[in-house]
Amino acid sequence: MGFSGNLKDFPIPDIFQVIAKEKKSGILLVEWKDLIVAYYIKKGQIIFARPIDKITRVYTERDFEKVIKKLRVDPKKISQILDRYLIQRLDNKEGIFSLIFGFIRYTCSEKVYIPIEQIIMLASRQLTVSEVRRKISDNMLTFGWVKEKKEILKRLQLSPVEKKVAELIDGKKTVGDIRKKMFPTPELDVDRALYGFWSAGLIKRLRKGKRHKPEGLTLDLLKRIIEKVKDL
Amino acid sequence: MKNQKQKKRIKILISGPFSAGKTTFIKTISELEPLTTEKKTTRSSERKVKDYTTVAMDFGKITIDDEHELYLFGTPGQTRFDFMWDILGKGALGIVVLVDSTNPETFHEARQIINYFESRYPVPMVVAANKQDLPDAWTPEMIKAALNLDVEDIPVVPLVATDKESVKKVLLKLLEEIYKEFG
Repeated sequence: MGFSGNLKDFPIPDIFQVIAKEKKSGILLVEWKDLIVAYYIKKGQIIFARPIDKITRVYTERDFEKVIKKLRVDPKKISQILDRYLIQRLDNKEGIFSLIFGFIRYTCSEKVYIPIEQIIMLASRQLTVSEVRRKISDNMLTFGWVKEKKEILKRLQLSPVEKKVAELIDGKKTVGDIRKKMFPTPELDVDRALYGFWSAGLIKRLRKGKRHKPEGLTLDLLKRIIEKVKDL
Repeated sequence: MKNQKQKKRIKILISGPFSAGKTTFIKTISELEPLTTEKKTTRSSERKVKDYTTVAMDFGKITIDDEHELYLFGTPGQTRFDFMWDILGKGALGIVVLVDSTNPETFHEARQIINYFESRYPVPMVVAANKQDLPDAWTPEMIKAALNLDVEDIPVVPLVATDKESVKKVLLKLLEEIYKEFG
């Protein structure tokens, strides 16, 4: 089980958002314009990256410990490898991806060098106006913090702008209000921060007030509608 | 002419991105051949997907009893028609937001629709992950994660819009949500 798509349609922060939320293990393959890279995922965290010549290779080598031994990777250099094959590519928008959960075996000792939430924040800083508008689509959107705010914040290194935006999130201010308060900071920077927070699971969308009961709706009528639909 | 008693109309909105299956959804469940307002697609990216698209609304009907009729209004998917969401969204009993599970590009539009309604006229809502019968379909769980719905009380349910039982399940899930909210 997994998913696939094109980076133009579904940008990197969104891919990593799904990986982080699913908290599963597997491999993400990205066919960049110049290179194919396999990203090894353990319980929703990217722990290794490896350029490959043939896609089939990653599916035949299922034991992560053996992969590391075979490639003679010095564990101290994994963060540099991730930087080269992942972080430095976050501004690259061309490529296709496929993710397959399962099949790879890990031991208990693999380390997380860059938390996925931090990768999401870094990727969000590279988004264009049109990409940001896909998610921060409405001036009237309002955000609140999730219960796990403190734990997630510990894993993030926010920029000064992101810190300021974070201070303005109070469950009442709309996106429009936050943009105004942040002026003269460009709207794009504010929206990128909100996009990153939302994708990293740090904030959630809040509904505007209570849901309104439509006029004339009674419990009896609702039951009749349910029965009718069942009988169709 | 016979003086017929005017039936009370209840409205459910069927919304979603371009080519998510709104017209099919309504056609599958409506008791009368739905009124559609389809026009030839003009944008080349849209023409690759289908030749005709809904420009104002689709419209289907289910008679509940002698006094009530349930109307299904399908709104155009493209965001350039979002003024229609405003017109049709007011007074709706609930909203079904359809996504094409095989096309992640459509998830963004679905999110925009959810953002729009949740920020203005919050009503009970379900997301229907259509085209679950196709091999590349994302699972409802992954679509829930992609749409940031995992921390919200908006369910994501599987759908094959050509299958009447599947469409019924989606409508019943929405009605269950409405019952939970107002019952």
